[in-house]
Amino acid sequence: MEAITSLKSIQLDALRETANIGAGHAATALSQMTGSTIMINVPAINVVRMEAIPSQFGDEEEPVAAVMMHMLGDLSGRTLLVFPKPAVMRLAELMLRRPLGSSTALGELETSAIKEAGNILSGAYMNALSDFLGMLLLPSPPSLVIDMSRAVLSSAYAQFASDPDCILCVESEFMLTDRAQSLRGFFLLLPDPASLQVMLRALRLA
Amino acid sequence: MTDIQVSISDYAVARAGTRLVTVGLGSCVAIALHAPAHRAGGLAHIMLPHAALSNDRSSPGKFAGTAVPHMVEQLRALGVTGRLEARLVGGASMFEQLLPPGGVPLGSRNVVAARAACADAGIAVVAEDTGGGHGRSVYFDVEAGCVLVRSVLHGDRTL
Repeated sequence: MEAITSLKSIQLDALRETANIGAGHAATALSQMTGSTIMINVPAINVVRMEAIPSQFGDEEEPVAAVMMHMLGDLSGRTLLVFPKPAVMRLAELMLRRPLGSSTALGELETSAIKEAGNILSGAYMNALSDFLGMLLLPSPPSLVIDMSRAVLSSAYAQFASDPDCILCVESEFMLTDRAQSLRGFFLLLPDPASLQVMLRALRLA
Repeated sequence: MTDIQVSISDYAVARAGTRLVTVGLGSCVAIALHAPAHRAGGLAHIMLPHAALSNDRSSPGKFAGTAVPHMVEQLRALGVTGRLEARLVGGASMFEQLLPPGGVPLGSRNVVAARAACADAGIAVVAEDTGGGHGRSVYFDVEAGCVLVRSVLHGDRTL
């Protein structure tokens, strides 16, 4: 736990840069997949107690779609891709090459398209990380949940975190701009505390 | 009627004329205690089953085992005597396919711990909307003792 709370600013900068490389590759993949322009923000690193995790969504009851995958191999942890529900419909339409606004229900095909988007994004992110850090990273199959934002995020943290007192969350924001719309989404990297040390060692900053 | 928001790992008690609200329960469990004779009640949003799972024990509302006795104590301080009844909401298991095989989901452990905490305090659990895989929000009218459970996937339900 001290390992996480006592991170120096140079270590945080290195982690932010690592996340930026990952998010950059993921954004390129998403851009190619959807044929739209994707912008990413500088990643934010949050080190907080579970109950103090800032919400990316103003309304805690807002429905969101979240694709979670385990990260296995030399690092362990989870990746989470979160979109507000209206955005996720548009994402499914882009993936399935349908006209905008033509889909109303999330059926099996749409669900599968969203999971696949999560798969490709996390895959690109982890690939970039494993190249940069010289490690083997493997993704698990994705799991999709559509529910209120607070419930989804708190479950994602609480259910799988090894230490509920201190969560390290690396957050990258995506903006997808197309002809007539802009979609916002988040990519969260949640490394286990032990893996954080492994990452820092690979960055020669342990 | 005024609303009091109960955030995660927290609890609150109130008298008639108040609605205790907690939103976005996933694996967390809301424990609503109601004193029918006094039209008062308390609501906790617990996150973990036992204090042993955490080093930070500063908030009693975080654990089932500590939230119930603290709420009872505060209700007694409000002058509430006599019988209390409990309603439990939440304890869902999201991302279930990512759980290790054979593992008991946190939501189920929270529900079991909440039931045990109520039993230890001699409080009967009169209604439950727990388990499943969906998130819930709780709106607890302490006067009537009725708990409105909202969810995105399954609509509204009153306990």
